[in-house]
Amino acid sequence: MLTHYMDLGWRSIRKTPVLSALMVMAISIGIGITLISLNVFQLMSHNPAGERSSVLHMTQLWSQGPDSWEEYSANLTYQDTMNLRQSDIPVRSVASFRSGGAIHAEGSDAEPEMRSIRVTDSEFFAMFSVPFLYGGSWDKSVDMEAAHVVVINEDLNRTFLGGGNNVGKIIYLDVTPYQIVGIIDHWMPRPKYYDVTNGSMNFAESIYVPFSLTPHEEFPVWGNTSGWQFEPLITYNDRLLSEKTWIQFWAELPDEDAQMQFSQWLTSYVEQQQALGRFTDNTRTSWMRLLDVAEYLTDSEVVPEDNRIMIGLSALFLAVCLVNILGLLLTKFLKRAPEVGVRRAIGASRRQIFLQHMVEVSLIGLLGGVIGLVWAWFGLTTLADHLGMEEALGRLDPSMWIMTPSIALGAAMLAGMYPAWVICRTQPSVYLKSQ
Amino acid sequence: MFTIKPVLSSLMRSRTGPLLLLLQIVLSVAIVANAGFIIQERLALMQRSSGIAEQSVLSFSLYNFGEKVNLPQQLKRDLEILRNIPGIKAATSTNMLPLSGSGWSDRFIDGPDPETAKSTPGFAWYLGGEQMVDTLGVNVIEGRNFRADELNHSITDSGMKALMSAPLAKEVFGEESAVGQIMYQGSDNQIEIIGVVEVLQGAWVDSDQFDYSVIQNIELNENRSNQFMVRADRRDVPALEETIKQALRAENPDRVIRNFNTLRELKDMSYAFHAVMAGMLSIMIILLLVITSLGLSGMVMFNIQRRTKQIGTRRALGARKRDIVGMFLVENWLICFSGGLLGGLLAMELGSQLMTLFSLPMMGWQWPAMTVAGLLVITTVAVLLPARKAALISPAIATRTV
Repeated sequence: MLTHYMDLGWRSIRKTPVLSALMVMAISIGIGITLISLNVFQLMSHNPAGERSSVLHMTQLWSQGPDSWEEYSANLTYQDTMNLRQSDIPVRSVASFRSGGAIHAEGSDAEPEMRSIRVTDSEFFAMFSVPFLYGGSWDKSVDMEAAHVVVINEDLNRTFLGGGNNVGKIIYLDVTPYQIVGIIDHWMPRPKYYDVTNGSMNFAESIYVPFSLTPHEEFPVWGNTSGWQFEPLITYNDRLLSEKTWIQFWAELPDEDAQMQFSQWLTSYVEQQQALGRFTDNTRTSWMRLLDVAEYLTDSEVVPEDNRIMIGLSALFLAVCLVNILGLLLTKFLKRAPEVGVRRAIGASRRQIFLQHMVEVSLIGLLGGVIGLVWAWFGLTTLADHLGMEEALGRLDPSMWIMTPSIALGAAMLAGMYPAWVICRTQPSVYLKSQ
Repeated sequence: MFTIKPVLSSLMRSRTGPLLLLLQIVLSVAIVANAGFIIQERLALMQRSSGIAEQSVLSFSLYNFGEKVNLPQQLKRDLEILRNIPGIKAATSTNMLPLSGSGWSDRFIDGPDPETAKSTPGFAWYLGGEQMVDTLGVNVIEGRNFRADELNHSITDSGMKALMSAPLAKEVFGEESAVGQIMYQGSDNQIEIIGVVEVLQGAWVDSDQFDYSVIQNIELNENRSNQFMVRADRRDVPALEETIKQALRAENPDRVIRNFNTLRELKDMSYAFHAVMAGMLSIMIILLLVITSLGLSGMVMFNIQRRTKQIGTRRALGARKRDIVGMFLVENWLICFSGGLLGGLLAMELGSQLMTLFSLPMMGWQWPAMTVAGLLVITTVAVLLPARKAALISPAIATRTV
């Protein structure tokens, strides 16, 4: 029966090509625009941490004095970071910040390149599930006793060392030699959830060096450094001793118990620091907070406001398209009333007439959906191109393959319900007489 | 020609079609008014003057990785080289690039005691050489620029001199002149304000304090990594990248020189999200209008077929062609006006929702009003074409059975 209805529907669509084309166009544009904003939302609101999202906690402290910032800084000071690293409550804890420098390798033809570097602790890779191709992270002892070791990614490995297992070889950051201990596979979490402060859709860094080297190597800070009081940073040591915030600190806390314990530990840490004259904002009752990955991404407003506005407006747009189609369908179906009258007279039930028309509407919806998907793809490519974010935005999220047909069918049926209902109530007698 | 009563009674008889049209217009007004308002708001953001000769300023970064490099000497040499390149009119090192989205911000306080002094609003804090003003092309409207012999090289040096942007000077000193005022950083560092520049924007296009900026006489020379800006004729800018690279590499090959951008390019990147938003919304409005008017035309055409007999009868009873056209127009206007009224209310409601949910200012009533006016024009055209066809229906039709 369904195939018969589809055949009938297709015939009917072909019989009024202009009107049908108009309807398909309208619905496809509505779907296309909705898909674009939904797709952008999907990509940006994605939580790459998956099931580890509730386990990983970004630690934030209210270290600023009164009358300065009105919200938590995303980063910590160096002194707080060093103290927090002492706590053994988190299963893993990782300090990190973004740096950069000129990379080159001895005997390589490749010119030195400026690359961004992540300065971090050994457990970064385990904490954020970074896949290794060769080797692994540096030993945990390096986090205390600094050593010149480095983890690089496969892309860098190919550019400077020609690919393959190059663990043990040397690359240079500026003029300092580092021994490669691990090479990681392609890894590109989007958003870059371990640090969204400098562009949440940016690439992950290609080089990872021990955090413990910071005071020796004086790595430049490529991320944000924020201060709430006047503190000139003349030497690197000024930076280390200052109240400026510039380091992210993640703690892995597997259950509520651990979270509670760590919160208590932090509270007593703050009290201890207050005794030393820090954390002077007395208007507060709490000076610390732990954000899991989902909370951190929300708090950092990774999904831009504009995107939410677009979703709302495109939903309204789709609604206009639906009303439009509703009118056109009504027009079209009523025109066919005589035909339906005859069908009813020779025994078709109302239900059958209703179904027949719903099938036709669904066909239109699906056609619109397919074309809408093309619009969306086209739109996204253009959009990503304009924003210079080809890799991050210029692709369809897998969820769109389910989203598109559901929106298309749902929309078409919503629009078709009333016209199909009107037409199935046609009185056969009226049309038989007038024919 | 324009009689409302018969049109109204015919509208009341077949309610569904007009009702749908009404709904469509209500929604369209709500969308178009809000989208138009957002577009206008974004365009206004982009059109603010930066005070800078954006297209004539080329910026780049330089990183010295060589081991035995005397950084202060190197910077001095590099600036000399740059300033001697033919075509370059001015060059300076800088701690930050305007309109780029990243940079330094700071505050001054108005007295030596940090406990009691009042703080200025946050501003973009440009540190560079005496040619910064000429490089950017900003206009010194009061006081003077600092001289080469007044340059400092560290943030804690004494003899700090600064130029303020006029909006900041007005915010801090009101009607009083800024020139000659002394500001503080911490308790020890005094800064004398020696000049005011008319307009100079900072780095963050979405900041409330975008127009607040300060240029201070500090040429930082202890960093491995430096940013530069050079001013040239707009025509000469494209060729400069290669010239600069060659000249600086010839002096010392151990460096990475990259990120060549004119300030206009940086500005476009910073505003990319706004531009895309405005673009998407414009496309949305156009498509919406196309769909609405096509749908309307389709409906009217169908109505004509259905009402052929009625039209024929009216014609036979003496109605002129323009009466028929008028009937359709009045019908459309009735729907448009009532839809516009409801849609306007919905648009204002949507606007106030957007305002509370997002950081959008409140939309004025003129936006829905303009939308309704626009829709009137477009729907009139959309109706006029099929209506003129309807007017051609011959009175003879009425006598036949349809």
